[in-house]
Amino acid sequence: MDDQRVRGELPPLWNYGHETHDMIATKTLGFWLYMLSDALLFAGLFAAYGVLDHSMNAAGGPTEAQIVHPVAAFWQTIAVVTSVFCYSLATVALKHGYRQLVVLGILAAMLLGAVFIALEIADFADLYAHGATPQVSGFLSAYFVLIATHGLHMAFGLLWLFVMLIQVIRLGLTAPVVAQLLNLRLFWQFQSAVWVCVYVFVYLKGAI
Amino acid sequence: MFPHLQGPYSFLFGRFTLDAIPYANPIIQFAFAFSAVAALLIVVPVLYYKKIPYLFREWLTTVDHKKIGIMYIILGLVMMFRGFVDGMMIRTQQVMADGPNSAGHLEATHGYLPPSHFDQIYSSHGTLMIIFAATPILTGLGNIIVPLQIGARDMAFPTMNAISLWLTAVGAMLVMASLFIGDFSTAGWVGLIPLTELDFSPSTGVDYWMWAIQISSVGTTLNAINVIATIVAMRAPGMRWDRLPIFTWTTLSTSIIGLTSFPILGVALALLGADRYLGTHFYTAGHGGDLMLYTNLFWIWGHPEVYFLVLPAFGILSEVVPAFSEKPLFGYITMVAATFAIAGISWLVWLHHFFTMGAGPKVNSFFSVATMVVGIPTGVKVFNWLFTLYRGRITFATPMLWACGGLFLLLIGGLTGMMLAIPAINYTVHNSVFVIAHFHCMVLLIVYAAFAAVSFWFPKVFGFSLDERSGKYFFWTFALGTILVFTAMFGLGFMGETRRLDYLYNTKWFPALVIEEVGIGFYTLSCVFFFYMLYVSIRDRAKNIASSDPWGTARTLEWLTHSPVPFYNFAVTPQVSSRDELTYRYLNNAAATAPAHYEAIHMPKNTPVPIIIGAFAFGFGFGLTWRIWWLTGLSLLGIIAVVIYRSFNRDDGYHLSAETMAELESRPPLGVIAESQFLSRSDPHHLIPAKVH
Amino acid sequence: MSEPETNPILHGEVQQASLLGYTAGFFATLALLGAALLLTEFHVMPPTYLLGSIAGLALLALLCQTFLSFGLDITRHNIWKSVSLVLTIPLFILTIGLTVWMFQQLAINTMIPGANIMPGMTMQPTMLQ
Repeated sequence: MDDQRVRGELPPLWNYGHETHDMIATKTLGFWLYMLSDALLFAGLFAAYGVLDHSMNAAGGPTEAQIVHPVAAFWQTIAVVTSVFCYSLATVALKHGYRQLVVLGILAAMLLGAVFIALEIADFADLYAHGATPQVSGFLSAYFVLIATHGLHMAFGLLWLFVMLIQVIRLGLTAPVVAQLLNLRLFWQFQSAVWVCVYVFVYLKGAI
Repeated sequence: MFPHLQGPYSFLFGRFTLDAIPYANPIIQFAFAFSAVAALLIVVPVLYYKKIPYLFREWLTTVDHKKIGIMYIILGLVMMFRGFVDGMMIRTQQVMADGPNSAGHLEATHGYLPPSHFDQIYSSHGTLMIIFAATPILTGLGNIIVPLQIGARDMAFPTMNAISLWLTAVGAMLVMASLFIGDFSTAGWVGLIPLTELDFSPSTGVDYWMWAIQISSVGTTLNAINVIATIVAMRAPGMRWDRLPIFTWTTLSTSIIGLTSFPILGVALALLGADRYLGTHFYTAGHGGDLMLYTNLFWIWGHPEVYFLVLPAFGILSEVVPAFSEKPLFGYITMVAATFAIAGISWLVWLHHFFTMGAGPKVNSFFSVATMVVGIPTGVKVFNWLFTLYRGRITFATPMLWACGGLFLLLIGGLTGMMLAIPAINYTVHNSVFVIAHFHCMVLLIVYAAFAAVSFWFPKVFGFSLDERSGKYFFWTFALGTILVFTAMFGLGFMGETRRLDYLYNTKWFPALVIEEVGIGFYTLSCVFFFYMLYVSIRDRAKNIASSDPWGTARTLEWLTHSPVPFYNFAVTPQVSSRDELTYRYLNNAAATAPAHYEAIHMPKNTPVPIIIGAFAFGFGFGLTWRIWWLTGLSLLGIIAVVIYRSFNRDDGYHLSAETMAELESRPPLGVIAESQFLSRSDPHHLIPAKVH
Repeated sequence: MSEPETNPILHGEVQQASLLGYTAGFFATLALLGAALLLTEFHVMPPTYLLGSIAGLALLALLCQTFLSFGLDITRHNIWKSVSLVLTIPLFILTIGLTVWMFQQLAINTMIPGANIMPGMTMQPTMLQ
């Protein structure tokens, strides 16, 4: 820049041909930033859980050790991790343009996601049957809300998977659809990452 | 299992009955009359001149970042006015209710406001000012200026930008609705626990407060995502990181704070919502709840929030001070480093809001030291501004007056903040008006910076200048009010006056309270000058047409555009060669060089999706507040349906051909003033370039 | 804004999907969490060490997911994601860690001595005691 000024020439003032920019990269960056804010939402919930998981917060009701079942929750772990794997395989199919395999991967991910939610609802139902509801104590409130928030994210993810299924079938692999599939990959993989934290710091920690 | 609600309940209307409307309250009657007149003054001309289609087409469905920014600022100023009226009512009540012999009027034993009404007023004062006045104004400024400063055509996600605006507006509307339908929270803007629990606040007030903040927080988080993506991905070619204007740097830093801290507020309020709606025990005093958990979670958000507000204010000072000292900003790199240091350390200090909780000396020391450390980068900034002023050619135009006033407030507010950072001192003044005076110095700094920004960039955005004379009257009366109210308040804090008192027991405080009331009188006078300034400026706009560089001394890229900025910002994307690009171009006699030819550009299309989502969000918030479950459910489904519908119907926008661009650029009023755009610079030889190119 | 002529599938972020990476991530996550489960179920260590071990295994699992599943690195496509993640992680840790420390200290300072607040944690005497 300085040499040009010394020589008496100016660098160009206006840039032509800059009208296009990478929309897909911008969209995934924006979605990733949203995922980071979601991570901090879970940080807040974990902080609340960390404060309320002591015996005084059980207020006479069941304590952590009495309600967590790590082995049963491991089935949920398998369900969610495999669901994420299936969706990741769908994006590998996307890389090669195999539309049918993309559809198949999304379906498998949906199925396993539904299994995860069913297992979680069964766990909640079991707790309710034993009288352990969120309204009993501060600890149970924290437990239910933390797990249910992750579950709600999974449920929204299932809805999104279903919408993408329709879009891939009806609209094909256009740029907006591809951008959405990439965002969904970030979202779905994130659910598995959060579940790692939930599994270890709720189910395993509680059973120590 | 679910909590029992006091009062009547029906399926169709939830907790709402006609008794919820406070017909008999004379203050509300007056507020209603005032609001009705103000609304009619706006609605009647719009209908008379048949402007509804224009409004719908150009403003309500717009995705243009400039129009969205203008609407944000208008929303913020209107809410600031209402917040100011609340503040005036607080001051008047306190001066009238000092001492056991003070008279009672209307329904109050002392003063004119009964305690529960007074509590609602200070709660809404805080909530409105912070969340619905300061945040929208600063967000709006960032919306308008940042894309222009980086040479972009719009934000990264224009539709999401509009959605953020409407969600914020919905939050404000919920607070306004609480004035006439039901009541507002009495637990302060913070939401003092356990007062906010259903047992102690059985009415819908706390629910209004909670959902207003939750809904607008979603808008703020989305805006943060938008700003970060825009600054990272959409800079003009040549706009390297070390050439970025400081206002853009601070807006980036602010958005990082916003992105990371607002979710915690969401959690804090959602858990409170679970307590109020589902009967859980997160914050209850029994059943294993923990009251301080709320305070902790709230302030984890609350402290970064104040830096979320103050960093753009610092950015504004960093733009205004160099422009009116005709020098580049001193210490660009240290300014940027200080900005990010402040943002980072702000995450480590939140316990200083509740030193008195009793976490002990280890915890208190850690947070105290961290709080004091954050003063260091702030001090770096102050010195940089002072060194920018030193040996500059200073012009005290209205924006510069506001900026310098802001510097004084920063000094006093910052020093008293350092006092408060010491737990030993904090224990003696916690919850007294000393704290109120401290943070009002800081928020007024933000307000001063906001007015500096508005008067600085007004000619650029609207194409005509604001009247300088009445602008200066506005400033001086406002500044005098500030000095009177808050000097007295610091004194009262040392004399032991605590916060949030509707009745003051100590008559020795009376003289100081009178001084504060006189101060509020000056604030009221400044309001009059503000409206007068707007009136005169609009009336005389034909005589005050602004060129591209109306102040004559601007330095950054946004001043390269025409005034008012055309909807496409730059006809051809600029190639940036330097920090302070405009000064660089002046120095090289290239400021007035237009592009040699034009090419087709792509623009995003207006859409009604954002305002429809806003309407559903209002239904959602109102339904939740009054527990009208069918309304809540349908609104939520509506939002989901609209989002899914839009994902199937992505609109790619439209193109403007090269011929259209050439025609737009030559058309009056742009054509008429295009030649005189840069003739206002009288002395190009005094230009001092930025040091790095 | 869009590039109507280019095939979106050729975009770098689509092409970065790696069968090997995803498979490795899948097995690694299950293996690490399975190991953590076995450690916990068979109580192989005292509680504090056990907590540390499973936290370490969780961290490893998250790292595997970051590199293998999310595919984060410092190439042009991913650098902003990596940078923003690295800046966010300390906030995540600080929010939870400082909160837990703060409330632990609060309990020591304000709760009745001798009450069994946190089984397994011994009380540190304060200056008052």
